[in-house]
Amino acid sequence: MEAGALRHPVLRARRSRKDRIGDPLLRGLSGLAAVVAVAAIAGIAYEVFDQASPAISKYGLGFLTTNDWNPVSERFGAAPFLYGTAVTSGIALLLAAPLSIAISIYLTELAPQRLRRPVATLVDMLAAIPTVILGLWGILVLGPFMRDTVEPALQSVFGFLPIFSGDPSAFGYLTAALILTIMITPIITSVTREVFETVPADLKEASYALGATRWEMVRQVVLPYSRAGIVGASILGLGRAIGEAIAVAQVIGGAYEIHTSLFHTGGTLAAQIAAQWEGATGQMQKASLAYLAAILLVFAVAVNVIARLIVQRGQLKDTDVTPTEVEAL
Amino acid sequence: MTKRLLSVGLALSLAIGIAACGSSSSGSDSSGSSGSPLVGAGSTLVAPLMSKWQSDYASKAEETVTYGAIGSGGGIDQITNRTVDFGASDAPLTEEQFEEADAQGDVEQIPWALSGTVPAYNVSGAPAELKLNGEVLADIYLGKITSWDDPAIAKLNPGASLPSTKITPVYRSDGSGDTYAFTNYLSTVDPEFQSKIGTSTQVKFPTGVGAEKNDGVSAAISQTDGAIGYVGLAYALQNELSMPMVENSAGEFPEPGVKSVEAAADAVGKIGPNNEISLADLPASAKGAYPISTYTYVIVPLESSKADALRKFITYAIGPGQEFGPDLDFAPLPKQVVAAGKKAIAKIGG
Repeated sequence: MEAGALRHPVLRARRSRKDRIGDPLLRGLSGLAAVVAVAAIAGIAYEVFDQASPAISKYGLGFLTTNDWNPVSERFGAAPFLYGTAVTSGIALLLAAPLSIAISIYLTELAPQRLRRPVATLVDMLAAIPTVILGLWGILVLGPFMRDTVEPALQSVFGFLPIFSGDPSAFGYLTAALILTIMITPIITSVTREVFETVPADLKEASYALGATRWEMVRQVVLPYSRAGIVGASILGLGRAIGEAIAVAQVIGGAYEIHTSLFHTGGTLAAQIAAQWEGATGQMQKASLAYLAAILLVFAVAVNVIARLIVQRGQLKDTDVTPTEVEAL
Repeated sequence: MTKRLLSVGLALSLAIGIAACGSSSSGSDSSGSSGSPLVGAGSTLVAPLMSKWQSDYASKAEETVTYGAIGSGGGIDQITNRTVDFGASDAPLTEEQFEEADAQGDVEQIPWALSGTVPAYNVSGAPAELKLNGEVLADIYLGKITSWDDPAIAKLNPGASLPSTKITPVYRSDGSGDTYAFTNYLSTVDPEFQSKIGTSTQVKFPTGVGAEKNDGVSAAISQTDGAIGYVGLAYALQNELSMPMVENSAGEFPEPGVKSVEAAADAVGKIGPNNEISLADLPASAKGAYPISTYTYVIVPLESSKADALRKFITYAIGPGQEFGPDLDFAPLPKQVVAAGKKAIAKIGG
């Protein structure tokens, strides 16, 4: 049809004119969009490091290990916030990953067909709750519940562990970690669900045909086949947890030192920047907050790169490996 | 064909737009004065009063003032970089901040509103009008007094039954004029507080729970039995928080409000070289004075293309503008402060 159309002189003229302008225009505009995106990232990184440079030259790498943040005496360090970020996002990941895998298994393998879509939509909608509202709910509902019920229970069973020592508190690492868990569960779930859906039906059928129960099929086919996807999804969730500022700032209680007890108040990199940037009292505090931002940026980029590498490598490997794994059944 | 026209048109309009932006911004820089509105930014504490001023000033003087309540620290930043015509801060500028702000020509700091910071508490089983003083508040925030039946609290409340509930001090985790007023007061009455914590809009408390803004602090207090925190006077009165009575230098326990804040301001005559006034160290003769009262300031550059408009607006704010204060829980400025303000205003553009 195309060849026929071009044979007509008028249409041919129009087509060639379109080609002359349309193609370069498309290339130019889309190229420009790509350049803008790359320039934005480079610009942000430059700005963050530029703002941080007074603090970087004053404190050096010792900033990373200084366990203090005192705007009055101008002694600033990242250790309390690095620790807080690691602890809260680590706990959130430990809780959210198994939960998300369970939800995804239920939604792809176990739930009645009618229920799958509505439940999946509801789980996705969890991600649509604005974080500031989740934080407010954390202050008013989750925090008091943690202090009055969950933390005393943890203490009565595991009280000998230093992480469950001290007075239960509505504000602190553990409350923040739970808020983050709620926040990243829908993200991990939606990716793992998609991955589970790509498991070839013939592999599952083969497993059943060999007499596997549902649990055995999930354990021996679905989970190994999706391993890379699960890891990628979890790291995606981890990245989100590391970067979350507002909701964490609302419930973590803003303390500027490392505390062993998970019930104690603390701080994270993102929450500290969000809480103090606007009201910073001097240039050195501003620069130190920018230094925290630079650390956060490096962290976030590293996590993203790792996730990408794992997913890419996993995809290649899994297509090679699965048939043999199925044979092993 | 049409697409081509469209793209050429787009490119043209884009170019014109950019050119227009360039010319308009350079135009406002050089011409200045009448027409373009005054732009200010800073303190959230002064924002309710400011919005009254804006509407009243617009109808009386027919001039518009734009204000962004972005926080005192932001206001200081913006005026230091001259991205606004005036800044507003709840804490007087530090020497370092003055140096930075003066880098592009001198700035003047003028007190233009007067209010207070009040403690608020939530202790079930404690008396409704609990009495406290500066030393006890300082020891609570230093972590030295940890339960509500501490002898120091019992001594101030003879005969009252006090629960043994653990005290949870609540503080602002973001920069705040209330933190400045509160720590300035506690540093004045308690040397240990001054050496260990100090005075600033952001400090490091050794104990307690940090929350964001007045709302966050009040939510944290309401959800925690045994909590005590501090918020702006207007916020506390409008939300009817339970406030403990704080002892003043005269040995009284005045009710926090416009009257007692005004009494505190009347009792202090000392005005600093940069018009900074601390109301933390009240004389024993100050009857009925509220001990945690505080001024909030406007910061203006002496050289400005809008010097006339600035002079006019700030004269209005510290003069007729003060009428709106009491309804919004701001106390009117005392005469000597208005006089000092007028002197400073005369320097703008001169």
